[in-house]
Amino acid sequence: MDAATNDRLKELLAACARRDQTAFARLYETTSAKLFSVAVRILRREDWAEEVLQDCYVSIWNNAQGYAPALSAPMTWMTSIVRNRCLDWLRRPRLEVTLEAGEGDEDPLEAIPSDAPGPLEQLSSSADARAIANCLGRLEPKQRQAVMLAFYDGMTHSELASHLREPLGTVKTWIRRGLERLKGCLEGT
Amino acid sequence: MNYRDKPDLQDRLAAEYVLGTLRGPARSRFQAWMREDAAIARAVREWEERLTPMAAALPEVRPPRRVWRGIESRIATPNRGPEAKRGLWESLGFWRGWGLVTSGLAAALVVAVATQKPEVVEVVRTVEVVRTAEVPSTKMQPSYVAMLEDAKGGMKVMTYAARQSDELWFRVEGMEHKAGHSYELWGLPAKPGEAPTSLGVLPARETGTIKLAAAADQALSGFPQLAISIEPEGGSKTGLPTGPVVAKGESMKFW
Repeated sequence: MDAATNDRLKELLAACARRDQTAFARLYETTSAKLFSVAVRILRREDWAEEVLQDCYVSIWNNAQGYAPALSAPMTWMTSIVRNRCLDWLRRPRLEVTLEAGEGDEDPLEAIPSDAPGPLEQLSSSADARAIANCLGRLEPKQRQAVMLAFYDGMTHSELASHLREPLGTVKTWIRRGLERLKGCLEGT
Repeated sequence: MNYRDKPDLQDRLAAEYVLGTLRGPARSRFQAWMREDAAIARAVREWEERLTPMAAALPEVRPPRRVWRGIESRIATPNRGPEAKRGLWESLGFWRGWGLVTSGLAAALVVAVATQKPEVVEVVRTVEVVRTAEVPSTKMQPSYVAMLEDAKGGMKVMTYAARQSDELWFRVEGMEHKAGHSYELWGLPAKPGEAPTSLGVLPARETGTIKLAAAADQALSGFPQLAISIEPEGGSKTGLPTGPVVAKGESMKFW
């Protein structure tokens, strides 16, 4: 995201804080496709993602006054709202999963392409993500894979362990070391 | 665990929280710390700045238009009864909750709504009735849903029909069936002068289905409101309501 877009989003959020509904509609137009992709990826169900997205925009509207442009970039602030809501959503009692079991025949884990090189390449092509892409590229492949599966797909430690067929402790170590190295790399650049 | 004087531990927890691997009760505990401890909140913000740009790699997916419509209705100035009521009607979560029949969800709904206007709580009471009923589907399909009430809110009727189906499911509360009388369901056209159309006679049961003349998409689409009148046994002989209207309500199309 370039600086101009960033500034524009900050203006829109400031207008939302003043209860400007037209600005809120523009904010939605500009950002909803990105935020929806985040929710769809983590939740793996479009109907859940729609519900979460709706709640998140209502929450963005209600909390626009609390947004501090000096502390975080607008897209970071909004994306974090969506990711947190998705992760909280996954903690709900999962009755409906049992109700609808058998509906999709594919193993959801098989549909996850984060271990492919795709995301990293795409990341490098986006200006504001170049730094993190560069640092992810410097991680050991296993660490990188674990970090990316956790971020994009919302996998827990134990889901990672079974997906990657590795002991839980090993996966936890990859994540911890991966995060440490990312921090070191990002602070060095 | 004492985390307060261990900045390294705080930072590690913040990183895993933002990444998403801090889950379960630990996640809730951490969220509580974050709210009361500025240092932890700062660590979380810093990790969000570091990791969130990763989201830029995801190809955009445009959400369906109904998501925006739902948001719009929920942020509308909620200071009058009917509007607040419509907000609830149009909330996706509200109707999905209805389809899911999870007591947890229903309880959450009551809590969420109890903090709003008293008019809305009335609606929730009705939903509580339906929650315990055998709902027509575990997953809401594109459908017509109507909630009919009498003036005092004592009698309530809920109807549901999938758009492609000619079967209309209903459930009534607080309605007595008397010998020699039937309750007949009517579609009320949008234009005031136009005559209501009979949709069928409700069997003398608490819940059941009636057969519509055509699939709901044809049979119900022209009627923004439905009503129930008291008629001679078997339904009105004239094709128009002859007895008093005992319940009325909006019919909404979902999807």
